[in-house]
Amino acid sequence: MKKRVRLSEFGAAEKVLTPLSYSDLAPLPGEDTSQKQFKPVRPELWEKYDYSLDGFSALNLPIPKTPEEEAAIVNSFLAGLEKLFKKENNWAFLQPTVLSTEYCMQCNTCNEACPVYEASGRQDIYRPNFRSELLRRIYRRYFTPAGRLLGKWAGADVELNWRVVYRLAELSWRCSLCRRCASTCPIGVDNALLARELRKLFSMEMGIAPDAVHKSGTINHMITGSSTGMTRAAFLDNIEFIEDLIEEKIGRRIKIPVDKKGADIMLLHNAGEYMAWPENPAAFAILFDAAGIDYTLSSEAMGYEGVNYGVWYDDVQYARIALAQVQAAKNLGVRKIVVGECGHATKGLVTIADRLCVGDFAIPRESCLPLLEQITLSGAIKFDPMKNNFPVTMHDPCNMVRLMGIINPQRNVLKHILPPGQFREMPNAGTNNYCCGGGSGFAIMNSQNFPEWRNNLASRKKAQQVLEAFKDVLDPSIPKYYCAPCSNCKGAARDALMHHYGFRDKYNIIYGGLVELMVNAMIDVPHPFITWEDEF
Amino acid sequence: MNSLEGFVTGPMVYLAIAVFTVVTAYKVHAIMNMPRHLRWDLYPVPHQGPEGSKYQKVDFYKLPKQFSLTHELKEMGEEIFFIKRAFLNNRKIWRGSYLLHLGFYIGTAWLALLVAGAVMEIAGVRVSAAGGLASLIYYLTIAAGVASFVFGLAGTLWLFHLRVHDEEMQAVSDAVSYMNLGLMLLLFGTGFAAWLFADPTFALLRAQVAGLLTFTAVPVQDSLIAWQMFWFSVFLLYLPFSRMMHFAAKYFFYHNIMWDDEPLKAGSDMEKDITGYLSYSVEWSARHIKHRGNWAEQVASRPEREVDKK
Ligand code: SF4
Ligand code: SF4
Repeated sequence: MKKRVRLSEFGAAEKVLTPLSYSDLAPLPGEDTSQKQFKPVRPELWEKYDYSLDGFSALNLPIPKTPEEEAAIVNSFLAGLEKLFKKENNWAFLQPTVLSTEYCMQCNTCNEACPVYEASGRQDIYRPNFRSELLRRIYRRYFTPAGRLLGKWAGADVELNWRVVYRLAELSWRCSLCRRCASTCPIGVDNALLARELRKLFSMEMGIAPDAVHKSGTINHMITGSSTGMTRAAFLDNIEFIEDLIEEKIGRRIKIPVDKKGADIMLLHNAGEYMAWPENPAAFAILFDAAGIDYTLSSEAMGYEGVNYGVWYDDVQYARIALAQVQAAKNLGVRKIVVGECGHATKGLVTIADRLCVGDFAIPRESCLPLLEQITLSGAIKFDPMKNNFPVTMHDPCNMVRLMGIINPQRNVLKHILPPGQFREMPNAGTNNYCCGGGSGFAIMNSQNFPEWRNNLASRKKAQQVLEAFKDVLDPSIPKYYCAPCSNCKGAARDALMHHYGFRDKYNIIYGGLVELMVNAMIDVPHPFITWEDEF
Repeated sequence: MNSLEGFVTGPMVYLAIAVFTVVTAYKVHAIMNMPRHLRWDLYPVPHQGPEGSKYQKVDFYKLPKQFSLTHELKEMGEEIFFIKRAFLNNRKIWRGSYLLHLGFYIGTAWLALLVAGAVMEIAGVRVSAAGGLASLIYYLTIAAGVASFVFGLAGTLWLFHLRVHDEEMQAVSDAVSYMNLGLMLLLFGTGFAAWLFADPTFALLRAQVAGLLTFTAVPVQDSLIAWQMFWFSVFLLYLPFSRMMHFAAKYFFYHNIMWDDEPLKAGSDMEKDITGYLSYSVEWSARHIKHRGNWAEQVASRPEREVDKK
C-alpha cells in the first residue's frame, strides 16, 4: 500500500518508515507478484542494524546504543552539512549544489521521470524531490536565520535526530544518479546531484559509504591497483589468459600490447571485465589488431583499472583515482586515453575530470564508441551482418548517453553489423533512457538485502523496456541479444534481468557488449564469437 | 490622503524597488562569483546543434568549438515563453504555471506601458482614447493590465487548487508554497479589484507612477489603489529572498551547469582559477581524508589511516 510520509515526520520512531511489499510494485507483463514476499530480515540483524527507512540496508549502519552515540551522529552530520556549502570543501560542486538547494518550486515534474519512484508504486520517500527537500529543510532549519526563527514558515520544519540522519544516508543510496529527473525539471534543479552531495557528506565527513564502494572499492583500488583486488601480477596473468581465450576462439594467437611506451592510445578497461567478461577485452584486442590500431594497456597499479567509484560518492577519492589513471598514461607517453565499455569510467575520466587535468595532466581522453564506429566505417575489417542474424536491442548507459551525448556511434556500428530488421530500439531510447538499475554503485552492492531492493525497484523499469523492445519475438526459440556497452550495466543485466527476472530462461535473451557483436560478425573469425550456450 | 497611504504610494515603492534591485543584483553576483565547478553536462546541449555531442567524434578535442546560437535561442525561447519542460512532462502543473507566468510577463509589459504613459503625461501629452501614439499606449495599458490580472489570478488559483486538492502536490507543498501563492493572489487580486472598482483606464495609477517619477506626492483617490501599490511593493520586497528568484537563477542552471561544455584549455583563466582552488584547505574529517591537507595534497595522498585499518 502506498505509504504517505510527510517530510516533517521523517524522523518518526516507527520501526520502518515505508515498509515495502511486492504488491506495491509496478508489475511487469505476465508477472504475478501476489504470492511473493521480500525475504524477512533475521531478528539478530534487526537488533543490530538500521533498516528503518524501507526495511532494506545498503550501508550496514549500526543502531546507536546510547544518547551520546545518537547525539554524535547528529552533530557529525551537521558539521558535514555546513562544509558542503563552503567553497574550501566543495568548490567543485558548490554552484550546482547551492542552486539546486535554493530554487526547487515543488512542482513534482521530476517524479514521473524516476524509475525507482514509479517501480515502487509511487512511494513518497522515493520521490526525487523528497530527499532533496529534506536536505533543504534541514539546512534552512539549522543554518539560516530565517529557518531558525520562523521554522515551517521559512520551509524549515525538519528536526534532526539520529533516525533522520541514518534514513537520509540510506535514502541517498536509493537513487541511481541517472539524472533523468534533472532533464525534466523546468527549473533545472538536479536531484541526482543533491543525492550525490549527500553521499559525499556521509562519506567525507562521517565515513559512511557502502563497503563495496568504499572499503572494497576505492580503498582497495588504491591498495591493490584495482577495485577488484587484482594486483599487477594478476593482471598480467589475466592478459595471458585472454590471449589463450582469443586463440581458442579465433584459432590464432594475438599478442596484447602491455606497457608499450609511446603508443598512440592507452586503452583503459573496467577491470571487472577481465574477471567477469573476458570476452570483452578479448574482442577489443581482436578488433584493434585487425584494424591496426597502435595501442597499449598499462600494467601500472591503477593504470589497468578504469573504474572510479569516487564518481558516485566522494570527491577526494574520485580525484585521487582519476589523476592516477592519467598519470599512468603520462608514464607511457601515449597520445590519448581511450576508455573501454564502461559508462561511469568514461564520464568520470573524460567529462568530470576535464577541469581537474590542469598543466601536463591534460592528456586527451575519449570514449571507445567513436573509435569503434571509425573502425567499422573505415572498411579495415570485413563484417558479415548475417552472422548476427538475431534480434538485438541497445541499452543506452546513462553516463555515456544522457550525461555525455554519445548516441550515434554505437547505432552506426550496429547498422553495419546487423542484418536489416534485427535492431529494435527500446521505448525512450537515447537521452531519455532509463537506468539499468546498476547505476551509481548499485551493480556492485551485494551486501545484506540490498540486491533484493535493487533488482525489484531500480532495475524494474529496464526490465519492462527490454520486454517491450522484444515484444514481437519473446518466443524462447528465438535467441535475442541485449547489447549493453557498459560493465556496470552488464552487471545489472546479469543479476537483475537474467537471474532475478529470469529473462535468459524464459525468453532466451542474453546480454553482452558491443565489441562482442562486432567480432561475431567478422568474416575472418571462423566460429561464432557469441555462443548462446556458455558464458552468458 | 492619510499618511499611511502617502507612505505606501511613495517611500514604500521606492524602498521596494531599491531592495529588489540591490538584492537581486547581489544574488546574481554571488552566483556568478562562485568557484567554477567540475563538468556536469546534461544532454542534449542545444548549442551543439544537430551534430550533437562532440564526444561522438574521434579526437573530439581537436574539433572547433560548436556553438549554434539559433539552436540555443530556440530552446531558450521555448522554455521561457512556453515553459516547455513542464508542458512535456507535467501538463497538469503547466496549465497553472503557464497562466501565472503569462500574468507576470504581460504584467511586466503593463508596468512598462504605465511608465511610458506617465512619462508622456509628464511631457504634457495626455494619454487618452483620443488618438495617436497616446491612445495606443492608453488601450495597450488597459489590455495588458487586464490580461495580466486575469491570467495571473487564473494561474494562481489553479495552482492553489492543485496544492490543496491534488494529493501528490499536497504531499510536497510546504507552508512557503502556500504563502507565495497567497501573495500572488493578493498581488493580482488587488490589481484586478482596483481596475474593476476604481480605475478602469488606469489613469489613477498612471498619475501615481508619474508622481513617483517626479518625486511628487499624488493624492490617493481610492484606497484600492493604495492596496494595489502596497501588495506590489511587498511582492517586490519579498521576491529576491524567495525561491521565486528562479526567474534569474534559471539562467545559471541551464547555461552554467547543464549546457556548460566549455573544456579546460592550457593557459586559460579557467586553468588558473582551478589551480588556485587546489590550494584550498580541506576540512572534511573522515578517516580517508588527509588531515588539513589542501586539495592538491589530497589528490597526491593515499588514504593512509584507512589503509592501516585494513
Ligand atoms: S526538482 Fe524541479 S521538477 Fe522536481 S519538484 Fe523541484 S522544481 Fe519541480
Ligand atoms: S537520478 Fe534517477 S533514480 Fe535518482 S531520483 Fe532522479 S530519476 Fe530517480
